[in-house]
Amino acid sequence: MVHHRDPLPAVDRRDMLHRIGAGFGMLGLTGMLAETANAVSDPASPLAPKRPHFAPRAKHVIQLFMPGGPSQVDTFDYKPQIEKYRGQRPNLVDRKSLRNTKNGLFPSPFRFRRYGACGKWVSDIFPHVAQCVDDICFIHSMHTDIPEHAGAILMMNLGHLQPSRPGMGAWLVYGLGTENQNLPGFVAMSPRAQPRGKLANWGNAFLPGAYSGTYVNIASMKPDRILKDLKNPWLPQSVQRRQADFLTRLNQLDLERQQTDQQLESSIQAMEMAFRMQFAVPEVFDTSKETQSTLEMYGDSEYAKGCLLARRLVERGVRMVQLSHSIDGYDIAWDTGHNDIEGGHQKLAVACDQGIAALIKDLKQRGLFDDTLVIWGGEFGRAPTSEGQKGRDHDHYGFTVWMAGGGVKAGCTYGATDEFGCTAVRDRVHVHDLHATILHLMGLDHERLIYRYSGRDFRLTDVHGHVVHDVIAV
Amino acid sequence: MHVQFLTLGLISVFAVSSSVAKEAETKFFERRIRPLLAKRCFACHSADAEAPESGLRLDHREGLIRGGASGPAIVPGAPRKSLLIQAVRYEKNEMPPDGKLSAVEIRRLEKWVGMGAPWPDSSAAVKVLSEAGYDWEHYRTRHWSFRPVKKSKLPEVKDVVWPQGEIDRFILSGLEQKGLRPSAPVEAHILIRRIYLDLIGIPPKPEEVGVFVAEAAVDRSAAVSRLVNRLLDSPLYGERWGRHWLDVARFSDGSGGFLDNKTNSEAWRYRDWVVDAFNTDMPWNEFLRLQIAGDLLGDKQAAIGTGFFALGPQYKSDGGDPDSIAQAKSETLDDRIDTLTRGILGLTVSCARCHDHKFDPIPQQDYYSLAGIFENSSVRELPLVESAVVNEWNVQQQAIQVCQKKIDSLRKAVRKENRDLTDDEQSRIDQWNRELADLKAAARPKYPLAHSLHDTGQRDMRIAIRGNLRQPGEMAPRRFLRILGGNKRPKFTNGSGRVELANAIADPVNPLTARVIANRIWQHHFGKALVRTPSNLGVLGETPTHPALLDWLAATFVESGWSVKTLHRRIMTSAVWQQSSQMDTACFSVDSDNRLVWRMNPRRVDVEVWRDSLLATTGELDLQQGGPPVDDLAGSRRRTLYARVSRNGDQFASDDFLRLFDFPIMRATVAKRPASIVPQQYLFMLNSRFMVMRSQAFAVRLKQETATDADTIQTAYRLLFGRLPTDMEQRISAEFLANRSSADDSESPLSPLVQYAQVLLSSNEFMYVR
Repeated sequence: MVHHRDPLPAVDRRDMLHRIGAGFGMLGLTGMLAETANAVSDPASPLAPKRPHFAPRAKHVIQLFMPGGPSQVDTFDYKPQIEKYRGQRPNLVDRKSLRNTKNGLFPSPFRFRRYGACGKWVSDIFPHVAQCVDDICFIHSMHTDIPEHAGAILMMNLGHLQPSRPGMGAWLVYGLGTENQNLPGFVAMSPRAQPRGKLANWGNAFLPGAYSGTYVNIASMKPDRILKDLKNPWLPQSVQRRQADFLTRLNQLDLERQQTDQQLESSIQAMEMAFRMQFAVPEVFDTSKETQSTLEMYGDSEYAKGCLLARRLVERGVRMVQLSHSIDGYDIAWDTGHNDIEGGHQKLAVACDQGIAALIKDLKQRGLFDDTLVIWGGEFGRAPTSEGQKGRDHDHYGFTVWMAGGGVKAGCTYGATDEFGCTAVRDRVHVHDLHATILHLMGLDHERLIYRYSGRDFRLTDVHGHVVHDVIAV
Repeated sequence: MHVQFLTLGLISVFAVSSSVAKEAETKFFERRIRPLLAKRCFACHSADAEAPESGLRLDHREGLIRGGASGPAIVPGAPRKSLLIQAVRYEKNEMPPDGKLSAVEIRRLEKWVGMGAPWPDSSAAVKVLSEAGYDWEHYRTRHWSFRPVKKSKLPEVKDVVWPQGEIDRFILSGLEQKGLRPSAPVEAHILIRRIYLDLIGIPPKPEEVGVFVAEAAVDRSAAVSRLVNRLLDSPLYGERWGRHWLDVARFSDGSGGFLDNKTNSEAWRYRDWVVDAFNTDMPWNEFLRLQIAGDLLGDKQAAIGTGFFALGPQYKSDGGDPDSIAQAKSETLDDRIDTLTRGILGLTVSCARCHDHKFDPIPQQDYYSLAGIFENSSVRELPLVESAVVNEWNVQQQAIQVCQKKIDSLRKAVRKENRDLTDDEQSRIDQWNRELADLKAAARPKYPLAHSLHDTGQRDMRIAIRGNLRQPGEMAPRRFLRILGGNKRPKFTNGSGRVELANAIADPVNPLTARVIANRIWQHHFGKALVRTPSNLGVLGETPTHPALLDWLAATFVESGWSVKTLHRRIMTSAVWQQSSQMDTACFSVDSDNRLVWRMNPRRVDVEVWRDSLLATTGELDLQQGGPPVDDLAGSRRRTLYARVSRNGDQFASDDFLRLFDFPIMRATVAKRPASIVPQQYLFMLNSRFMVMRSQAFAVRLKQETATDADTIQTAYRLLFGRLPTDMEQRISAEFLANRSSADDSESPLSPLVQYAQVLLSSNEFMYVR
């Protein structure tokens, strides 16, 4: 950032810190979280909350990312016509796919039923999400640039086909800061395998390092090791407090000699925050205090645990959570659809369905739903024709993403693919448009959220993107 | 939208008002209004339209005011009276006819007309230029960085005492014009720390401080000169300053993740080559030439220099989709062009990948002229030994393979027959295994390699329409940039053209090369550059704070035989460099950003200096130079330069540590490092094993060298900060150390002295250079 800030006059920081730190050990941890989350955010901190461009509809994003490409016609985009033309290859679906398979239409092995007041057709592999359709807005007309995983995954998560741009969460924290200064502003999680491209999906690229996502592996997670060096194994807390106080004192004396220096002020602040993070961070990742009924609602899959953690994170003010799906340690889990839609998709859906539905219900129960934008989807979809006997090849011409909460129209279906579900034909939404819409819901104009680098202004949406106003609740 | 706007062409953008309000209006116009007009109106109402509808042209302000058949289109300041507004509201003739503008767009147009319809550069005759039709003469004569470098005359100054050299005259003149005074000379003990950290990246020893302070008291400028010369001769200098260049060269050991996963195991040879070049003060023009075309210009050592390009990303596609393959190739070429042009020329040529550069005179053709050079250059692994050695190695390896194959095929055949080995077969295999072991024992280790470039052809490329290589346009002959090489610049015909490119860049007539490096060197000495956008000297870059000084530095740099060390000496022996960094509120209120350099900028040191200083102070630093990188810095005592670094900063143990302290992502050339302050840095300082180990080592050192607490404190301060503690520091330190009776301490495995050491090593003062 090139913005220059005048150094603030050196206040007696020590007094303030003592006020904040008073009774530190006696406060309940949750109390401390709430007390200190906003109270001491340093305006010079790169993570301090910033004003959006306009009134936001949502304050937090939970992205339920489905790498590998879930098939639209086997999940939420019901296409009974496929059965009618089974085995045939009408012109509409005779399009080049990644492997350029030439087979005919292949009906979904799953049964679809109607749910909710909106009467949405949903496949039997998502029985729990099906119960939430009246809270969801389905976008059936998504499309993206290429039918390859790595590039398309990056397109979905950073708006560019190569790993050289910041992730969406990094942009959001850059634009809005975050509400809880004791926690990272952007958390990326997945069970076991990281989505293909790894860090690039939550990295800061050319944005300052403070905006990078913090990755947590749900499967191997230990609450006190979420961040490196989170715990001090050497000193009891009281001794550590004395040591930290002494460091602050020396830094304070140094600051007085320098008279004013914004950086020095900030570093004193950062040290105090680090001290508090040691306790705040393990607390948020520890689900043991959740009630039995909550735990049962989510179920015990690893992805469900991620959903529960996502709720806990946004509850405490984390700006964005990216929760990627994976089972069997596969970094593009839904790609098992190449060989076996029935087996592969069933297994993946079972592993996430209940947790996702629980997340929606839980957010609603706690009054967080209106402030939290939930987004479900992969990097592309799968063709309605078959690959081999019972699989499907990639389809980037049309696929489904759904959103819920955070200012999105409830019980809505937007856009459509052709009668076989191959190509987005009505109200087409490119990934850039989705990004523009997400930023809009968060109170950011995608054309104004810019970062100057390498001689030009960069945006999440590059030079593209139109807000899809029709999916936004009035 | 983009394309329509661009075919319309480029408007010269020099007449930029300094007024902030005007800037905001311009921004509003460029962001909101011009694209809207271009997208929705120009097809029928511009110079591009075959016959502007109704004679109305909306592509310049005068056209709007003059209007068309229905009268003036706008009345500046009166949106309601403007026909344009009525039309887009569909109140009168409904425009545009193919669909009403959105409410937001209409509001923006109203706002713009309400502002008085600002249209940048409207007063001058608007030059709407066709594609690549830049006003070359205008750029060459009007934009500062495209003008020839001229050795500036020294400015007159009132104070003739303060200046110690030419540089000081330029700075003082700027200060005097604003009625400011430079800061006092910095105290000698701070100055020596500054010199050490700046030139070699580790702090001076207390005895060196003592000697320097004494010498400086007698003859300060002689003492500084001696010290600077001594440190410039130290091999530690190249390790420090080579690193600055490695940022520009976006140097990494590869392993850039899925689409770019090649590991460059010999990347360190380029790193060492750069360090050597700095240490030997290789002339800068030669340094650049060898990095561009060392394989063609010199011996195998010289070829290592082309690691500058060869170590860049080599993107692949994931599944072989043609669009993805084209995209991967185009990104790889773009890395070469971007690193070359921003890194060496301070130009953002990459902006011309999809369309003509909007602000600088760089047509898309120029981009593909350069791309063609790299399209004909490939990365290879160059043996750094005689071919006889390579042949010998190949022969040996082949013998090993043959022997191995005999064993494998016999085993395979037997397996196929589903039986056991016969005794005879077993003994044959045993025999071969013995031979194999002998062959392997006798084989030489793999010979050394360098990742370098070599030429593969001499075909010109076509421009890629909208950056898409699958949509080729007109030919773009390989040659230099027109703004630098002139209209009649020759085509490159010698192989890929890299030698010709290297010569064009190193040509002293090129106005950018010397300015760019002089500016970068200034930047690293002062923390802030003369041009605050060091990799962009184009129209959208900042103008120099001291244009005449930059030119004087660039001109004398070339005169000195492109000697970087000479430039260091000039800068560091100046009075301006030796100013105090103390705050001066009077100066601050006039120039808070210190653009006039009324003091030295106090600043956080970078991660290399911080870690190296820690290890040096605790007495642990391993000064072994060069060679393969270390995987885990936390467990190593070598200089931070030697860490293995992945392109994304996410593969090796060292990456985590480095990124925590603002080491940049090495995916693209780096102009300056941010200094972000985040709590995680303090988690590291408070809790990491690395810091505890340093603290323990420092405590051991203090214990060995001192007897009493008072002595310990003083020695610690001298070792860390090159000064004695103040009374207050002495007192509170003693209190901290004396508090050994508390119950908690008995549980702690760390003694109060270790805790104390950790606090000092984590302190801001240790992390700053002043």
